[in-house]
Amino acid sequence: MITSAALCPWPPLLVRELTGADPVLPELRAACAGAVAALLRDRPEVVAVVGPGTGTVPWPADGRLNVAAFGGPRVAAPCPARPGTEGAGRPVLPPALGIGTYLLDQAGYAGERLIWSVSGDEPVAGCRKLGADLAGSDARVALLAIGDGSARRGPRAPGHFDERSHAFDAEVERAVRACDTRALLDLDPGLARELMATGRPAWQVLAGALEGCTGLSVEVLYAGDPFGVAYLVATLRPS
Amino acid sequence: MTAGTAQQALRLGRHCFAPDQRLVMGIVNRTPDSFYDRGATWNENAAMARVHAVVSEGADILDIGGVAAAPGAPVDVAEEIRRTVPFVGAVRAAYPDLVISVDTWRHQVGREACRAGADLLNDTWGGQDPELPAVAAEFGAGLICAHAGDQAPRTRPFRVAYEDVMADVLDRTLAQASRATAAGVDPARILIDAAHDFGKNTWQSLEVTRRLGEMVATGWPVLVSLSNKDFIGETLDAPPDRRLTGTLATTAICAWLGARVFRVHQVLQTREVLAMVSAIQGERPPARTVRGLA
Repeated sequence: MITSAALCPWPPLLVRELTGADPVLPELRAACAGAVAALLRDRPEVVAVVGPGTGTVPWPADGRLNVAAFGGPRVAAPCPARPGTEGAGRPVLPPALGIGTYLLDQAGYAGERLIWSVSGDEPVAGCRKLGADLAGSDARVALLAIGDGSARRGPRAPGHFDERSHAFDAEVERAVRACDTRALLDLDPGLARELMATGRPAWQVLAGALEGCTGLSVEVLYAGDPFGVAYLVATLRPS
Repeated sequence: MTAGTAQQALRLGRHCFAPDQRLVMGIVNRTPDSFYDRGATWNENAAMARVHAVVSEGADILDIGGVAAAPGAPVDVAEEIRRTVPFVGAVRAAYPDLVISVDTWRHQVGREACRAGADLLNDTWGGQDPELPAVAAEFGAGLICAHAGDQAPRTRPFRVAYEDVMADVLDRTLAQASRATAAGVDPARILIDAAHDFGKNTWQSLEVTRRLGEMVATGWPVLVSLSNKDFIGETLDAPPDRRLTGTLATTAICAWLGARVFRVHQVLQTREVLAMVSAIQGERPPARTVRGLA
């Protein structure tokens, strides 16, 4: 059964060391930490982390983020440890899942983990089924769905501007706030790919996991696009 | 400095440059929307005035581009040719010996540019058009083999991750250099370029700068294109018009590590930095030394 769920984006800048002297978006970092803390308050036996990757496959439960893949401060003596090395020996995850496990590490979560990447090409039915399978577990499962909205929300955005981006992201936010699993399952994979919205697969896994759930209370901790990418942080928990 | 294959002479146009000569490539944009000059040389007269200026300041090479690197209004082949090729012809007529480079990833543009007198094709987007090397070979032109990761032309990096960014730079640029050689490009006319900011975040551009000696050690001449770029802006928290100091500092480091060609907006300042580096390394004498010697 699903005890609770959370949505977090995965911009690498969530890792404080990667943003240089300026903390850059501490409010987003705090929102993600808050969402994960809320997830863990419901005392799950397993945390399932689901996010975009090149295939729809499970990953080793001890997988980690490879911070060094994004560069970072690796020469300066004042840095106590080179980021990314503290997990040496743990297998490297796709970056989105890496960020998910990083958030769990930061929260001090030491319990069981189930880690799945979902391909950007995974059809809706496959996402939904994975969600239903996770929800069908006998254990108390908390679901951490990793992904972002469109990265094409303005001329300075990574993918420049696509006029469809704002409506797409607004619909996602509306569906999450209303816990409207049907609307999340209606998101079009092709459109999501064109809009560089990496969250579509994980959100549809989430929808599959929560289908039929009632009485969930939704809290949106962050919704914004300071760099042209839509970030949505939310929790869905029993009221 | 990293030991490796020794640098050889670099041939561009009719010129042969020794390994210890540091060359300045002046940027001339035939675009209305490039990030630094914002269309200053979109007008042809302004562009030719810019050519005269950078030549008088000591540029060895001109790099003429018709498409801004950033996303923007589409520029098709015909429009890119219209922007660049007649201008290449005009520059060639004015300066028969000047090395002219054209910044393009498209072989159709490269072909027309070479016909109009270009000596070098600057493939900044890292081999997107597999037919470009054959064009360089056909005209005896040179080719710059750059690293843009997996980025399509005119796209920005989005969470680009590398197991080892310099290893990827070396893999891709050396593979392109091999393909160019196989296509018949004179190896003495091939350069490699890490392409700072292209397919890289700031940390990754800083790392390729720090490790530039690994590129130099391959023996291929290394070009760097640093001028006023975002990795400098992010490092110094400076908008494009306040990045010159950072550009020149980075230029000095790259020169020290063995880069040979510097693609820049500010030719005069770059020349002075390179003269200092060459003097410090003992490769070129100072201009005039009387202090304590009189």
